[in-house]
Amino acid sequence: MSFFRSKKMKYYSLVIPRESAWVVMDQLGRLGQLHIIDYDPLLPMMNRPFANYVKRCDDALFKLNGINTLLKQFKKNLIYCNDTQKLLDKFRDIQNLRQKPGHTYFDEIELEIENKKNNIQEMSNNLQNLLDRVDSITEQKLVLEKAKEILGKSIFSQSTPHNVNDYQQLKFGQLIGVIDKEDENRFKRIMFRITKGNAWVNIVDLLPEKQHHQIKNQIDLNRVSQPRCLYVIIYPGMNDQSTMKQKLLKVCDSFCKNRIEYPNSEEAMENRLKDLNNQINETQSLIRMTKKQLEISLDELVREKNGCNCSYFEQLRLYVLKEKYLYINLNYLTMQGSIFTGYFWLPDGLEVLVEDKLRQAIQNNIDRFPTGQIQEMKPKSDILPPTYFNLNEVIIPFQEIVNTYGVPRYQEINPGIFTIITFPFLFGVMFADIAHGFLLLLTGLYVIFWKKQLSKQTDSMFNAMIPFRYILTLMGFFAFYNGLIYNDYLSISLNLFGSCYHPKNEEWERTLNCVYPFGIDPVWLASGSSLNFMNSYKMKLSVILGVTHMLFGILLKGVNNLYFRNYLDFFCEFIPQLLFMASTFGWMDFLIILKWLNVYPDKFDPSIIETMINQVLKPMDETSTPVFLNNASFQLQITQVLTIIAVLSIPWMLLPKPLILGSSQKKHKVSFSEPQYQKLVQERQGSELEIDPQQFRKDLQSAASGKSIEQSEVEHESGEIWVHQMIETIEFVLGGISNTASYLRLWALSLAHGQLAEVFYDMCIAGKLDMGGIVGGLMGGYFYIVFALLTFGVLMMMDVMECFLHALRLHWVEFQSKFYKADGYLFVGFSYNQMLSEHLKL
Amino acid sequence: MDLCVFGVDDGYAEAIIRGLRASFLTEAQYQQMKNCASIPELKSFLEETDYQNCLQADNPQIPTSILRQRLKKKLADEFEYIEAQSTGILTKYLFHLRCRFMIDNVVNMIEGLKNKIDIEILLSNIDPLGWFPEIKNIKVLEGDDYSSLYRDVLIDTPIGVYFMKFLEESIENLHENRTLNDIQNLFREMKPEYIRTSLKKMWLEDFYSFCESELMPTSQEALLELLKFEADFKTVQVIYNSIGNRDLNTAAKIITTRKQLCPTIGNLYPDCEKVYLQAMTLDALREAVKGCDNYRDLLKDAPDPLKREEFNVQTKTLDDIMYDDECRRYALSFDGQGSYGVFYAYLKLKEQEIRNIIWLAEMISRKLAKNHPGWKKIIIPFSHLGK
Repeated sequence: MSFFRSKKMKYYSLVIPRESAWVVMDQLGRLGQLHIIDYDPLLPMMNRPFANYVKRCDDALFKLNGINTLLKQFKKNLIYCNDTQKLLDKFRDIQNLRQKPGHTYFDEIELEIENKKNNIQEMSNNLQNLLDRVDSITEQKLVLEKAKEILGKSIFSQSTPHNVNDYQQLKFGQLIGVIDKEDENRFKRIMFRITKGNAWVNIVDLLPEKQHHQIKNQIDLNRVSQPRCLYVIIYPGMNDQSTMKQKLLKVCDSFCKNRIEYPNSEEAMENRLKDLNNQINETQSLIRMTKKQLEISLDELVREKNGCNCSYFEQLRLYVLKEKYLYINLNYLTMQGSIFTGYFWLPDGLEVLVEDKLRQAIQNNIDRFPTGQIQEMKPKSDILPPTYFNLNEVIIPFQEIVNTYGVPRYQEINPGIFTIITFPFLFGVMFADIAHGFLLLLTGLYVIFWKKQLSKQTDSMFNAMIPFRYILTLMGFFAFYNGLIYNDYLSISLNLFGSCYHPKNEEWERTLNCVYPFGIDPVWLASGSSLNFMNSYKMKLSVILGVTHMLFGILLKGVNNLYFRNYLDFFCEFIPQLLFMASTFGWMDFLIILKWLNVYPDKFDPSIIETMINQVLKPMDETSTPVFLNNASFQLQITQVLTIIAVLSIPWMLLPKPLILGSSQKKHKVSFSEPQYQKLVQERQGSELEIDPQQFRKDLQSAASGKSIEQSEVEHESGEIWVHQMIETIEFVLGGISNTASYLRLWALSLAHGQLAEVFYDMCIAGKLDMGGIVGGLMGGYFYIVFALLTFGVLMMMDVMECFLHALRLHWVEFQSKFYKADGYLFVGFSYNQMLSEHLKL
Repeated sequence: MDLCVFGVDDGYAEAIIRGLRASFLTEAQYQQMKNCASIPELKSFLEETDYQNCLQADNPQIPTSILRQRLKKKLADEFEYIEAQSTGILTKYLFHLRCRFMIDNVVNMIEGLKNKIDIEILLSNIDPLGWFPEIKNIKVLEGDDYSSLYRDVLIDTPIGVYFMKFLEESIENLHENRTLNDIQNLFREMKPEYIRTSLKKMWLEDFYSFCESELMPTSQEALLELLKFEADFKTVQVIYNSIGNRDLNTAAKIITTRKQLCPTIGNLYPDCEKVYLQAMTLDALREAVKGCDNYRDLLKDAPDPLKREEFNVQTKTLDDIMYDDECRRYALSFDGQGSYGVFYAYLKLKEQEIRNIIWLAEMISRKLAKNHPGWKKIIIPFSHLGK
């Protein structure tokens, strides 16, 4: 029963010689059942022996990541691995073929990744450069063409002045170039200021040609090309040495390097354009070639290799991940000279498996280095073993509900097992409706039976439900069942078995000795007091359920106390708590059921609330309306006894435990003054460099034999104990009342659900039925849609969520507070399989 | 009152800053950094801190200048993000903060161009916090013609105002019948450091009046306090550095220069102005500032500027002492609620952190012995609060 209580754990020490550390850890990782304990959690990762390897793995992953972005840009679809075990076997086969120490395979892989990355990087850089070149040439061409348009032909012929007298004004120089669009205004302003307005500046937007866009969009890796502008400045004076020209040149260059020499003659212009066109064509063919090459080397990564069922890229990535994981876990051990020592938890009975793996390690080891050794040890008293359950797919969501509140303490009763039924049941009580429950049930069943198909549709909403399919089904089933009990079908009662009442003279008459076989007689819906009747019924039902649930929780506490041999808690907490609960609210439940069973004469209807209150306020008076038919004195005797028990159990809860603890502590102080050897060992470990490993191992062995470990008793401060016990007692007594009241949410939510359903039904369907004819039909159709949408949105989505949350609360607070310690921690196995399956997809 | 409405506009920006508080290196982390044996080790250590992303792509043997650039870039990115999230007054305020870095950049560019350093190198070394698009156009500068530089380029920039004021003031100070030649001479002799100090002084005064007139009372209270100290810090620095300065040979010249460079705000101004302008020795300076706050204690340990030969790495310089006190004030101000002081303090403290890292990187790359007093010369932000 490894689900009722967590698995038994054993504490082992692990000693591995340095040479075979990798092999041994590799084998243990395949086993995946070791919970390795960090030897020194305070030691920063950087200072650990294998920090360097972890870093190398990280670097390799970083490089792979870079390749991956390229793969994505080229729309290469990787084949992802889906069977980690098979992959691990493949890795082992590869290792066996190599005939070299296992850890060196990572060096090879690292080198390969490095090469591949450099190779691909270089090619993509080349491609990038070529594209840039095409861009700049095209830009030049564009600029020249545009400038030609702007300047016209006359610019070439201006060297002959029209008029000899004012030739200086007529000579113009020109500057042409490209700037970023965002600099446009600034450029204009600065030009104006420098030339004092004596230059003509024309700026035209450049629209890059469309033809390269196709390649560019695919490859352009990191830059967004900015819109650019062409500028043409015409300034007076052609002399190259003029200060204005120098200054203009400086400014233009400070904006951007792309200044273009404008040819002197038309012929030169033509030649230049032709030349540029040629260059473009050349570069483009180069681009095509580079791209092809790049694609070839990328395809190599996508293909399967070495018989693994995934892309080579994935194979590399997962191997590096595996290696990193191994080194991280190896870092949990500590180095003592030439050996690694560490501790781990192992589920009971798996020792044989581990030793088997260790033997395999020596067989697989090429150099036949000695393998690691394990030795069972007594754990240090201050650490609890981890909590480990064997879970299956049905249980996982329920265990998750429990773990969200807190992981069970080692070996304590796991509330998860009861949650499997109680959780859907309490949900069902709140969500009680035959139709809604049935829909939920259908949804759950659909996901269960179509699981295979659904798991392929990753974008389906049902795909997300797959892990929760069993909990959904159970919730639906219990909602359906409770709906039958409340006889509520979308706010209508179903007359399934024939009502026991029939109308007679405008009154309802009951058939003699008739009992409606299952659930509520549908006739109540027709009566005016249906709400009153249902409320009182549901309220009583929820209190009965609640008290039963809590009593069960208290009983579990007793079982836990017995299991851990904590008799003090058993006698001084469990028993008084049980008595208190049973003699107050248990008694109330009993009265409720008794009242249901009896038929009382008119005017002698007992009120249960009154009975409960009078039990305390008038403990000596016999009641005039006893719940026990005609037996008031008997009832009085019982109530008196129960009241006394309840009152007595409060000091019983409060006083004995701290008193006993206090006295035992005094005894303890007198008798126990031996030195604590355990601590000595720990101090040694702190200054590990100074002791030789031999001595250390002796220490460990003596520690293992259990002679020197003394239970280091937690020092109880007696004041603290008193305060703690007082809080506990007050919490329990007050909690008894408030928790019982809290279970009334079972009634409240089911009332809310019923009322909502009724409103939707009345407003959308019932009210429209009497409108006959075609219009009525159309309206009916329309309102049916409204009804369906409201039912789906409000009841099937929101109300499910609400009831779920309330059921969650009832479990976490009202039920689990009675017994559940929840201070354990989960078992984290050193397992390749688990780690890899978490990283299967990027 | 302003505490109630502070969150309406500035809550988000402030919340981001508060979140960034977690990115400061702790004392333990500094301790570990000191233990690093080489630059690659330091880098891999920094990669485990908040600086991870800005360093990952670099070569392990990273030069300190690039390291500084990367760290500053990260700070600038964060600051830009906050600036983008801010509205109204806060945006203006944050922009004002950045002006200080712009001044530094402009002066650095001018200095570099004068020394004929290649513009590409200069551009790669500018502080990303003070980047503005016109900065590359400073290349236009010819000789020492600052006025045309101003006219052509800087006039559009945020710091144009300060530059104009600076030009006007320096020209006004010349004698009445000045000639064009005089002005050119004036600029030729002017040191970039002088330009920087005067520009910063103007910026500080301007910022001070901005805070005084625009901000809400809580922010004002926090900021004016900080700015006053900064102004005093500047004043003390100016006086201190001009003691025994050989370029300023006459007493009259010293006083006029001091008068130009010392901010006209702060706790020392105007009460102590007369006294400190006259101070010609360190003791006189100590005497001059004794009336204010704890300045006297601060100056107690400062080395005497007249005995410059005795300086070495061991002694704490005046700057170190002042930074230390500054850090304490900023850390306090960072923890203040509902004021803009937190942005200012964040910037300053991060600057200090970067200074620390760079200092340590220098120490490590020079392979100085671990008992060298220089290792102690870092000022850890927020370390003052614990004591």
